[in-house]
Amino acid sequence: MAALLAVLYREAKIRFTNLIWMFFDLFYPLIYFLLFGVMMDYTFGSPLAGLGVDYTAFFLAGVLGMAGFGIATNTAWGFFFDRDNGIFYEMLTYPMSRAQFLLGKVVFNLLLAVVQATLTVGLGVLLLDVPLRWERLPLLLAGVVGGAAGWFFFFAIFALKIRRNDLFNTVVNLFYFLLLFASSMFYPLDPLPGWFRAAAQLNPLTWHVDVLRFSTIGVGDPWRILLEAAAFVVFSLAAFAYAVRTLQQQE
Amino acid sequence: MDEDAFAVEELVKVYRGRRGWLGRPASAPVRAVDGMSFSVRRGEIFGLLGPNGAGKTTLLKILTTLLGPTSGRARVLGFDVVAQPLEVRRRISLVIQESAAEMFLSARDNLLTYARFHQRPAADARRRADVVLEKFHLVPEADRKVQDLSGGFRRRVQVAKVFMVDTPLVFLDEFSTGMDPILKRAVMGYLREEAARGRTIVLTTQVLSEAEELCDDILIMNQGKEVARGDLYALKLLSRGLYEVTITYDQMPAGIETELARLEPVRLHIEANTLELALKAEEAEVLERVSALARLGHVLKVEVAGASLEDIFIELMKAPEAKS
Repeated sequence: MAALLAVLYREAKIRFTNLIWMFFDLFYPLIYFLLFGVMMDYTFGSPLAGLGVDYTAFFLAGVLGMAGFGIATNTAWGFFFDRDNGIFYEMLTYPMSRAQFLLGKVVFNLLLAVVQATLTVGLGVLLLDVPLRWERLPLLLAGVVGGAAGWFFFFAIFALKIRRNDLFNTVVNLFYFLLLFASSMFYPLDPLPGWFRAAAQLNPLTWHVDVLRFSTIGVGDPWRILLEAAAFVVFSLAAFAYAVRTLQQQE
Repeated sequence: MDEDAFAVEELVKVYRGRRGWLGRPASAPVRAVDGMSFSVRRGEIFGLLGPNGAGKTTLLKILTTLLGPTSGRARVLGFDVVAQPLEVRRRISLVIQESAAEMFLSARDNLLTYARFHQRPAADARRRADVVLEKFHLVPEADRKVQDLSGGFRRRVQVAKVFMVDTPLVFLDEFSTGMDPILKRAVMGYLREEAARGRTIVLTTQVLSEAEELCDDILIMNQGKEVARGDLYALKLLSRGLYEVTITYDQMPAGIETELARLEPVRLHIEANTLELALKAEEAEVLERVSALARLGHVLKVEVAGASLEDIFIELMKAPEAKS
């Protein structure tokens, strides 16, 4: 427990003394929500065809997914940076196991994701009149926490495997582009071509966002959501196991 | 209680060769540590010396649980580095060769964070941080982020943190890199104090005068194997017949190069009007050669001394068993 708290203390010190990171983690998604979400709402008119909700309500889950994804990439980038400047190797000799190191990082990631989600949901409900399904709040919490953890483990693998900064940035940007746009984050998948729908349905970000959307505004078939949630848990556990293994192989 | 700070038995580390396209070997495997067995007693300052690529850093990485051995055993304060890595980590501090600090944190927060990992109470850590910052002349930089400090200051922060805790074993890989001579001297003093308090200090260094001045016990290794071991006096016995000669002339005599070449010195350094050379010969022969050199010009100073650690090191690295 002491080791876990020490990692949390370190992460908090780093993030809270670097306000630009905090801005990107906590407030950047809100700006996205307000600008992109509201403008798209005006463009498409309300409600969205076939869904019966506004675009802002539809996009709330997308913003939550994007925020978790972004916090995870920032934390993983921190891993990469630590290794690049050497402290990572000294930290591996600190009194903690590799799993504790990884868990400490992810717990901080999760706390940040929960704070960010509170701000986003608050903004959505209070300012944009998103009809939140309050009874599904525990499910939403699980979706936010599980999602941020899964994406952190996934990006940690790349942060630990890739040695070059430019390559790591390229990979992250590529994932950002492919995973975000080939998912249900920005638009409903039903009107899209079959090949795109098939690709998007294989994307773990679609699974994550669909769970968040079901928890926030109730859109989605419960059985399908259950299947997507189970698939995301498997994805996260596999990523965790592989990230720990990669961390153990660091020399 | 285990009397040894650490012990290794038949320790081997082989780095696999890299693979190129289609699995073809791009480089051969490297035997960085090749069957070493030795132990170091608690409370000593132990120096691990060797040329680049000798295997010093690999050995340190194994002892600090950063790297697993290919075969053999290593125990730190009685704990196996493979089976009980957490127990080992609770008892060690490491400063790696490369610069390593928390770039986004201030110098003070670097120290406090390190103390936190070693579970020092917060108030005690803050008090100690003040002392350590003072010792390392870091007070004016204490609240600046390390990323804004120069390389030398970053190194100070990196080394300073081991003084925040009382881990019984401290590993320092080339600790003085980037330090100015005044601070380096001060840190050497602090290390002696820590050893006197019972901490074991293990240092690797290329600056042999540092090891000569600090270490109670020295191991010289090359190509993953032990070449020589002992305190400074024991090592000096290995190079009997090796002498260091310093001659200062009022001005360097003409044609001295020919005379020097004839003497075949082990090491030669000429600066302004001073000659520094190491000669390997019988005592009487050395004195004769020194007289011959002295007769070439007007001498201001002559010094003949036993070999320095640097001479011994060069001599050992030239020995056939070190090359094999």
